[in-house]
Amino acid sequence: MQNDDNAVSSEEDKKIREELYKQNLELARLYKEVDSLNSNLNTANDNLKNLIKQRESLVHLITHKVKGSFTRTKFIFAGMLDGTFGEINPEVKKVAEQGLDFDNGGIQTVDLVLNVANLQNGLIKYDMRELDFKDVVMKTVEEKRLAVEAKGLKLELSIEKDTYKVTGDAFWLKEVVSNLIENSIKYTKEGKISVALSDGGKILLSVKDTGLGITEEDKHNLFTEGGRGKDSIKVNVDSTGYGLFTVKMVVEAHKGKVWGESEGTGKGSQFYVELPIS
Amino acid sequence: MDTTAQFPKIAFRIIKEQELIIGPLAWDEARKVQGIQILNQKNGEINLDSGNQKNIIDRLVAQYERIFGEASHVVCHDAVQDLIAEMPPEEIPASLK
Repeated sequence: MQNDDNAVSSEEDKKIREELYKQNLELARLYKEVDSLNSNLNTANDNLKNLIKQRESLVHLITHKVKGSFTRTKFIFAGMLDGTFGEINPEVKKVAEQGLDFDNGGIQTVDLVLNVANLQNGLIKYDMRELDFKDVVMKTVEEKRLAVEAKGLKLELSIEKDTYKVTGDAFWLKEVVSNLIENSIKYTKEGKISVALSDGGKILLSVKDTGLGITEEDKHNLFTEGGRGKDSIKVNVDSTGYGLFTVKMVVEAHKGKVWGESEGTGKGSQFYVELPIS
Repeated sequence: MDTTAQFPKIAFRIIKEQELIIGPLAWDEARKVQGIQILNQKNGEINLDSGNQKNIIDRLVAQYERIFGEASHVVCHDAVQDLIAEMPPEEIPASLK
């Protein structure tokens, strides 16, 4: 009786051992699979890092070359306009003025792309100082007023308080305000642009317009690199998709938040920038 | 082809593959096989008694199979395919054919 029990037990023991081996085998197979996936992932990561580096250096090379060309032709057009090349007739003057405008626009675009690349690479060091954000906003609004009115739009500015102290880089904060207002100018055919500054525990800048608006789909791409709205290219053929991306990078470097709202196509847009009070 | 040098490599490959599945037990079981001396487990230094090394490999495969069943035989077989690919057929241990 004892022997019979042992025989059964030994058979069961063998079965258990074999079953456990099979389970371990499956685990080992999975382990190898994960190991191989990890290795593939590492290779892909390395390749991606190399590609990013190559892209960065390509962006720098192209933008510097393009900017160089724009700058040279800009001086040619400017020279034509200021009489360096002698008297020019009104028709040539008109063409030279257009050429100068195109060159300025081109340089602006190249600078935008270069700035994004530099911000991403950490090549830009912010000069953080305590400043009054109201001054930055007011100065930028006044600089943009001509362009707004030239398009037949109204520009409103509302500032609740006397001072809005923030710690930030005046140059880059101005870029933020400028970018948001320029966006509104580009995408608003009629109506007005309202810029407001308020303080509800944090500084809040809002730039509202009666323009093209933002679709639900576009809201997801607003602040991404190269993210352009589906309809924005129809209105603004020069859209680079880098403007709002730059805004986001700068605002976040100032420990702030930026977001956009819209009730939909044709219903205008509202962009908000929240900054901590210094 | 110097198959004498190939057999210790085959033994090591089999033990390492089994180690992946059953852990250090793989080395303990290998030590029980007559004709195998583990000189340095960490560096994979294994000595097989001269004579019938083919037979030693067969015994190693059988040792695992006896305890863990047919699945362990398949593991041994698959683990050494690249090592036996260039060996003359008559030199390949029967358990790995």
